[in-house]
Amino acid sequence: MLLAIEYDVMLQFEGITKRYKKAGIIYPALEEVSIRIDKGEFVTVTGPSGSGKSTLLNIAGGLINPDFGNVYFHEQNIYLFNNSEFDDYRKRHVGYVFQQFHLIPYLTVFENIRMVCSGLTVAQQIDSYLEKCSLQPLRNKYPSELSVGEKQRTAFIRAIINHPDLLLADEPTGNLDPLNSRILMSLTKEFNQSGGTVILVSHDQDSKQFASRHITLDSGRLISDQKIT
Amino acid sequence: MNPFKLVIKELFYRKINSLVILLTVIVAATVSVAVFTLSKASENETRKIMREQGLNLYIFPKGTNLIDFFSVNNTPAFSEDYVDVLADSKTFDAVRHLTGILQLKYPDWIDPNGSRHQIVVSGYKDEAVQRFLNKQETMGFDVEPGTVHVGALLSVNIPEGEPFRILGKDGEEHTFEIAKRLIEGKGILDQGVAFHLADLQQLLGMEGQINRIEALGCVCHDGRIKNARMQVQSIFPDLEVTEVGSIAEARENQRLMMNKYGSFLIPFVVLASLLISGLLFYANVNSRRYEMGIFKATGKSNSFIVSIIILKAFLIGLVGSITGFFAGSGISEYFGQKIFRFTATDIEPLWNIFGFAVLIFPVLWMLSSWIPALLATQVDAAGILSGE
Repeated sequence: MLLAIEYDVMLQFEGITKRYKKAGIIYPALEEVSIRIDKGEFVTVTGPSGSGKSTLLNIAGGLINPDFGNVYFHEQNIYLFNNSEFDDYRKRHVGYVFQQFHLIPYLTVFENIRMVCSGLTVAQQIDSYLEKCSLQPLRNKYPSELSVGEKQRTAFIRAIINHPDLLLADEPTGNLDPLNSRILMSLTKEFNQSGGTVILVSHDQDSKQFASRHITLDSGRLISDQKIT
Repeated sequence: MNPFKLVIKELFYRKINSLVILLTVIVAATVSVAVFTLSKASENETRKIMREQGLNLYIFPKGTNLIDFFSVNNTPAFSEDYVDVLADSKTFDAVRHLTGILQLKYPDWIDPNGSRHQIVVSGYKDEAVQRFLNKQETMGFDVEPGTVHVGALLSVNIPEGEPFRILGKDGEEHTFEIAKRLIEGKGILDQGVAFHLADLQQLLGMEGQINRIEALGCVCHDGRIKNARMQVQSIFPDLEVTEVGSIAEARENQRLMMNKYGSFLIPFVVLASLLISGLLFYANVNSRRYEMGIFKATGKSNSFIVSIIILKAFLIGLVGSITGFFAGSGISEYFGQKIFRFTATDIEPLWNIFGFAVLIFPVLWMLSSWIPALLATQVDAAGILSGE
């Protein structure tokens, strides 16, 4: 179990380098990127395709090992975690939202959310989120019966139901119409305002208006890092 | 969420994949159970036929002329105690139904009409209870003292209700109640009479004497005659053993052949089914890669991912083995009745293999899903979930 000591620095990337090799050719995804993200920040990450945005997010979530560098979560190097500590990190401290929703097709809306909950999370809590996200009438529907907006809101509840410290969102509005995009971004902002830290990868320039900080990557390098007031 | 519920929901969601995997278990279990049941039925049939054929091993003094022996021409006699010694031996286990017999030609029997005939008289000692066996049903003639079983050819000369009368060596006429009139087809006994050994010994003045021991050779692959001879001669070097060839032998060979087919067929079908099943599990895992990715991204452990796949294999194996057991038993019963003449109605589900089937098939199918399950833990969650 991770230490539950409160620090201002939530996540720190230190000299992160990641390269992919395809057909013998090496493609740099991230080159010596160092970023510090404080608790309660809402960070948007933009950049062209292949700039390393998703790689950065996946390294933060512990899904990809960097080739070089360290990632610290509350001053603990997550890439020194053993398997069960990594599982615990992802289960308790990180929530993921993806562009493709990735709901389990044979589980209902309620079950998709319940699936990630620890034993202590009660159905009532899930229902209150469903109510808040206007999904209560769809509680027992399967993903195939939902619209894209409803699917993404379900995925969003799944990501935050365990009250993670960090919400990692990879192009969450990429498949949504403007209305649903706005609803999702509002929910994300609400999560942030309640104390959660958000890293959001997006092509959508509108997402910046919800952020407190904006990072731009290009060809795996950090181009800009601006606080938004 | 309860992994069991998750597995059940996935099973029903991917019906075709689940049904095809289930089918592989059912086929493997059905074939295994059917072959095993039919093999067992064949063994019972062989035993039954051997029983119908009578005892097939003869034990007699060394030096006995076999032409005289088979034509019942007064061959040398020996003590009936030999039977008891053999039955009590710790090493003599190659035969069953040890029976001491005194069999002779009786040259001048006068039937109730006054006609004279040469008949065969046989005295049967009570079957010996071998020390390693419980008392078995008598296989040869179970003749009560004071009674006789009369062969079919003699029987026609004796009116119903009449006793059997015969002159003894003492010159007196001895009377025996006819307990059974034998039907035709008993070979030399068609023209003979079966006595209790003690009665015949007394009749002929040969107390304590027999001239052959008959037995049933075991159903075994390692040359029963050779084995029985070796065992008998290690106890009584002065005895010899011979065997009567019979349909039973052909049947036994057939049974052994069937066992050989079974020992090839069962592993072949099971392995082929396991291979197909393993590939289907692989296909299943492959189609669920993003599910595995989500499990990993949400902090589910590798052991959770392995367990839901193994649990699925276990459940399919369990349902398939139970279905296969009943299907295999049903098929055996249906076809067995057409194949086996004597034991047709005795073919029933072998409940002692039910537990075995219910244990072994789920375990085998869990093993077949093992590699796909391990592969599932290795999915590149980042690549899959980010759509790269």
